[in-house]
Amino acid sequence: MARYETIDRLFWFAASLGFAAALLLIWEGAVHAGLVRPLFFPAPSRIWAALVHGVVDGSMLSDTVVTVSRTLGGWLAASLVGAALGALIGLSRRANAYLGSTLEALRPLPPASLVPIFVAVFGYSEQMVMAIIAFGALWPCLLSTVSGFRAVEPRLYEVARVLGMGRPSVLFRIALPSALPEIFAGMRVGLTVSLILVVVGEMLGSRPGLGLSILLAQRSFQSPDLFAGIAVLGLIGFLTATLLNAVESRLLFWR
Amino acid sequence: MKPLQTRAAARETAPPTPLISFRRIDLSYGDRRILEDINLDIGEGEFVSVVGPSGCGKTTLLRLIAGLARPTAGDVILDGQPVAAPSRKVAVVFQDYSKALLPWRTAAGNIALALSAMGVPKAEWPDRISALLATVGLAGDGDKLPRQMSGGMQQRLQIARCLAQEPRVLLMDEPFGALDAMTRQSLQDEVLRIASTRSVTVFFVTHELEEAIYLGDRVVGLYANPGRVAQCFDVGLAKPRDQLSTREDPHFLSLRHELFSFIKQA
Ligand SMILES: Nc1ncnc2c1ncn2[C@@H]1O[C@H](COP(=O)(O)OP(=O)(O)O)[C@@H](O)[C@H]1O
Ligand SMILES: [Mg+2]
Repeated sequence: MARYETIDRLFWFAASLGFAAALLLIWEGAVHAGLVRPLFFPAPSRIWAALVHGVVDGSMLSDTVVTVSRTLGGWLAASLVGAALGALIGLSRRANAYLGSTLEALRPLPPASLVPIFVAVFGYSEQMVMAIIAFGALWPCLLSTVSGFRAVEPRLYEVARVLGMGRPSVLFRIALPSALPEIFAGMRVGLTVSLILVVVGEMLGSRPGLGLSILLAQRSFQSPDLFAGIAVLGLIGFLTATLLNAVESRLLFWR
Repeated sequence: MKPLQTRAAARETAPPTPLISFRRIDLSYGDRRILEDINLDIGEGEFVSVVGPSGCGKTTLLRLIAGLARPTAGDVILDGQPVAAPSRKVAVVFQDYSKALLPWRTAAGNIALALSAMGVPKAEWPDRISALLATVGLAGDGDKLPRQMSGGMQQRLQIARCLAQEPRVLLMDEPFGALDAMTRQSLQDEVLRIASTRSVTVFFVTHELEEAIYLGDRVVGLYANPGRVAQCFDVGLAKPRDQLSTREDPHFLSLRHELFSFIKQA
């Protein structure tokens, strides 16, 4: 059984790679045949060359490092705050009464619409970019954590009462592990949001990084560089999500 | 703790003081009266089965002893003290075993939860855990997660965790209701064995009349709407009980007959 599943998965993986390769080939051919304008859609070979050039001269690497650290920093901060606040609201009726409506009012605001406020407070600074990321990535984690803590099986709380478990013990041995799958689900969405917002933030705040490089490449009609930057962003998204999945299946082995 | 001799001496002159005592218990949820004027004494080491129509308040009665529910009026006395909150002396085997276990902990880990709450030194855990697992027939299953265990095994595990509490009272709420007949019978015998070797007092809720008789020293029948004690049947069948001969005993059959006609009119 397991072997057939593995073969099946390998087959579909190979098929999806083949499809992507075919798309790239068609694209390459279309550019050479003059069907699309290279100014908008440069040939994949040109994009690859730009990517290699960027890696060799170091600019792509330093941009990537800066952007990735911003993304992860903002995301981790947002996740920590979101999980802590979410736990508080999910567990305490009083905290929910005090904070609930404020958070409901803040939640639907698109993070980008708050950029002027962040600019006013932080200027066109690193903190401004971080604030945008953290604000945007906070909500998925917060909301999901709240629902995770609210959904703890009431029977388990009764088990804890019968055993006379103390509050910290109930929190760390029962509530937190119960809520962990939902916390992770929120963090996963938060990571995607962070990656979107880091690009937005770098563009708006003119902070060096992949986002700004893409913007500058576009302004100077360097479309191969533009696409190379986009490709790297896609790769970052893919790798971070894969990494998170690996950590999650480790931590939630019992599911 | 009273010395044993005083107790034995007291027993000759007066009936022993009950371990659990319901005294004029009323319980309402909002306007609805769930339990009315419950008066019931349960002796130390006694095995009491509770039967009654669905919704008559069996679970509520059990939760009163556990300290998980409070009466509107009256007191539940446990070991001379009114029950105000749950206590480790009283263990509860919940009906829905799959919800009462920590799915992220192995069988051993689920027992460790109780040992840690009891303040048992960590060095003693491995021995205690394997002894408890063996007691409920799960020797060698310590590393399994609940989802890797059958319903019967999960219920055994819940019983083991309750025994880790070293309780004086074991409350069981339709513990075998969801299990197949074979599993049910072997668990019945294990509970009987555990109850007698540990001389623990058992309050066993069930909707199976035969199970109630097979296990109990006494069967308490309840009326519904509101829940009241209707009748107590002394079982008086020889112990240890046996799935074949006990169930064929004429006394068993006449009790069964009596209980069936009681339930029909209840
Ligand atoms: N927390 C509660 N709030 C309101 N009604 C309840 C609550 N718990 C139980 N009841 C009601 O009390 C009655 C007795 O319930 P229960 O003790 O579970 O009955 P049984 O276990 O005999 O089936 C039921 O009608 C049930 O709906
Ligand atoms: Mg019930």
